[in-house]
Amino acid sequence: MIAHENKLISEIEALKNEFEKTTDKLIKDVRRQDKIMVRSDKRQQQEYDELQTKFEEVATLQKEIEDTQKEVVFTMGAIGESRSKETGNHVKRVAEYSKILALHYGLDDKESEMLKQASPMHDIGKVAIPDAILNKPGRFDSTEREIMDTHAQLGYDMLKMSDRPLLKTAATVAYEHHEKWDGSGYPNQLKGEEIHIYGRITALADVFDALGSDRCYKKAWDDEKIFNLFKEEKGKHFDPKLIDIFFDNLDQFLKVRNSLKDIY
Amino acid sequence: MENLTIEETKYTPSINLNVERGTVDIIGKSYPENTFEFYEPVMQWLEDYFNGNAQKKTVLNFEIIYFNSSSSKLLFDLFDLLEEMREENLIEINWIYDSENESALEAGEDFKEDFEDLNIHLVSK
Repeated sequence: MIAHENKLISEIEALKNEFEKTTDKLIKDVRRQDKIMVRSDKRQQQEYDELQTKFEEVATLQKEIEDTQKEVVFTMGAIGESRSKETGNHVKRVAEYSKILALHYGLDDKESEMLKQASPMHDIGKVAIPDAILNKPGRFDSTEREIMDTHAQLGYDMLKMSDRPLLKTAATVAYEHHEKWDGSGYPNQLKGEEIHIYGRITALADVFDALGSDRCYKKAWDDEKIFNLFKEEKGKHFDPKLIDIFFDNLDQFLKVRNSLKDIY
Repeated sequence: MENLTIEETKYTPSINLNVERGTVDIIGKSYPENTFEFYEPVMQWLEDYFNGNAQKKTVLNFEIIYFNSSSSKLLFDLFDLLEEMREENLIEINWIYDSENESALEAGEDFKEDFEDLNIHLVSK
């Protein structure tokens, strides 16, 4: 038997204990980390699934809202159309022309598309014009003309309360599509860029289509006559920049006119 | 020793550490940008508290509705500290969870399992 054990042994034993303690703690920590990771992976998966579901719901609702808006606007446009002498595909063509003008003018895709959807409502105010005036064959006398011209204000009043961008756009279009670049239009005799670009665009689109269409009270103008008028009215009735856009992209307008012909 | 109050934010819970009452309340969401930095004063407070300022009985209420994984890790560390203090202090822990919040319940169960010697109550709301 050794009387005095080597001191080294107790030191090594202390080290061994210390080492065991440390490794135990390390093992405990690693187990804990693993547990946290497993839990967190599971949670992430659930959260992601939930998010996906919610996103799909939101997208469906968003589409539903947009479709409803489009339908409402289109239906209102059709109501306006049914009350006016304009027939057939007039509002559809005005919509397409407006979008072409808007895009070339520099509005972005979203805004141009919105103007396209809103422009069919430009004559919605006509629903409040008495039949006797609205359907009168021949020319209006001055009182009748005055009443007829209120359709811009009436249309604006119908739509102005809305906070929806599409209906706000429609309100502007209804209000300003009879203003003229030189300030001789109605209802507010706005001039130049005081007239909202939506109003300036729809004015051109509306007149181009009205002149080029047969109506019960007039035959369609031929293109040359229309183009001459547009050249003459550049800077008078119409925004000169829009007239330039019109002539620079004439093929696009004629293509639309051709694909949306009125069928009698 | 001062009480410690931290207002709730979008990413961090409301924290109320009260010396006189011997209560610790951590309520809300916990996913701070830097979890350990955020909880550093809380851990420090607890160490100071149990180092000669503790009441006879200390009650900790955790009601954490959402937490990131580093918050889980931090809570394990916090419970480690409580476990060390357990012999000399009477400590009661309430882990409060919404019955529909499965993650919160599971976390509570994990703590109970890992800290058998601590007095952890799972309280369903």
